[in-house]
Amino acid sequence: MTEFHHRDRCAIVGIGATDFSRNSGRSDLTLATQAALAAIEDAGLAPNDIDGIVRCDMDTVRHNDLADALGIEELTYWGEVGPGGVAPCAQVGQAVGAILSGQATTVLVFRELNGRSGRRYGLSKQTDLRAGGAGSYDEFFAPYGLLTPGQIFAVIAQRHMLEYGTSEKQLGRIAVTCRERANANPRAQMHDRPLTMDDYLSARMISRPLRLYDFCLETDGACAVVVTSTDRARDLRQKPALIRAVAQNSIPNPQPGMQFPVLMRDHITELPAKAVAKTLFTRAGLGPQDVDVAQVYDCFTITVLMQLEDWGFCAKGEGGPFVASGEIDLGGSIPINTGGGHLSEGYIHGMNHIVEGVRQIRGESTSQVPGAEVCLVTSTALPPGSALMLTAA
Amino acid sequence: MIETSPRPLPVDDDVDTGGFFEAARRHELAIRICDGCGAVLHMPRAYCHTCGSWAGHWQPVAGRGRVYSWTTVEHQVHPAFPVPYTIVLIQLDDVRARLVGHLPGAPELVEGQPMEVWFETLDDGVVLPQWRTVTS
Repeated sequence: MTEFHHRDRCAIVGIGATDFSRNSGRSDLTLATQAALAAIEDAGLAPNDIDGIVRCDMDTVRHNDLADALGIEELTYWGEVGPGGVAPCAQVGQAVGAILSGQATTVLVFRELNGRSGRRYGLSKQTDLRAGGAGSYDEFFAPYGLLTPGQIFAVIAQRHMLEYGTSEKQLGRIAVTCRERANANPRAQMHDRPLTMDDYLSARMISRPLRLYDFCLETDGACAVVVTSTDRARDLRQKPALIRAVAQNSIPNPQPGMQFPVLMRDHITELPAKAVAKTLFTRAGLGPQDVDVAQVYDCFTITVLMQLEDWGFCAKGEGGPFVASGEIDLGGSIPINTGGGHLSEGYIHGMNHIVEGVRQIRGESTSQVPGAEVCLVTSTALPPGSALMLTAA
Repeated sequence: MIETSPRPLPVDDDVDTGGFFEAARRHELAIRICDGCGAVLHMPRAYCHTCGSWAGHWQPVAGRGRVYSWTTVEHQVHPAFPVPYTIVLIQLDDVRARLVGHLPGAPELVEGQPMEVWFETLDDGVVLPQWRTVTS
């Protein structure tokens, strides 16, 4: 690998979020605009200081929609990353690329969705009488009733249990831990709703072995961040969160399609996180032992457990005992999802993890890890993945 | 309770995958194999990156496999699929490929359990390979 030149050269200087709810009563464009204005205001900038926008491919708001809504007069860069939940950290990476290549100076990265009152990812989107074709490969899955991401991860979780003896209670520990962080975070959807292990174990099955609380929330809301050069960041209002490194990576024979064909991979209990970790740690010049706090993409509890293994916080197959021993709690070796994560704060498809990561670097989290100087943020579910490392100046 | 509706049928005439369903109509289970080097092309596609060949064929396989993993769906997400039902992931015995199947209810399953294919006829004469426990 060639020497990498983006280390610490850009920073996140503004963060913004709407409220997270089950029914926003607002349009997608309004949510995106509100989060964007909040992030720009947080940075001490004006909308016209933004000259780049990077969106997620599953967003319904396009860059020109948002530029128009914000009154941006000259948008010299726009970009898009996907698919879906693997986008957020790569969106920041694209912003870094745009800035360092001189195509933009100040880039807005956003994600919004009416994920509960609008299109719910937990329901099947299979409405046609015919499934698949045109490179989707859904014809091998939908006719059998394999229809949602939760069902994919349930099959993966079952396999992890077969291979490594992972238990439902160990998965429950992740749900309970994230809920405890949400209980401290007034912005979290589950702020007022404690969750015990008994609550977890007595909840209804959704797709065995995954129960209700193994699933993330479906949320209406939006998040945005502002990225600029570190030189410029020094003149702005907030303590910058330096982007130590960003990375994307895939795996050999990743399988085509949006998601279902990943079940054809040789090892379904390993995520592309392992490849992303190798690239990110090399670029950052850091290792798992240097990470003070992590915001780990948590569409489901099992997704977290496998990432902890793939990122090297514990050995492969030992994710269950690792989380059960309290290592992911505040005070553990790698506290995770300090705002409550997708499981309990809200599901903004990975973008709220970046916002929370910046809060940790600023020292402003509602579950602050004392002295946190290195925060890992992952967007490493499926099929490929991306991640970034934030550090204090 | 969600109302029932017709099950979604597979698109069975896709240029890359249609041969799978064409074989199923003959009650054959077939996997796409590269003519150049014998590599398994699954999910099915035209090009073999192992040897660079664009030529392949649909090779009938034994229709035997083993349970690799599964999930029993207990929360209904589609009107055509009342719960509970079980999605089973089958590792084929004679080819390095997996396929999914649909089992009614919540059967007791064990990793590595032998399974055999059967052919379910749906609307419009579409045939879907399915899996059941080997009884003999």
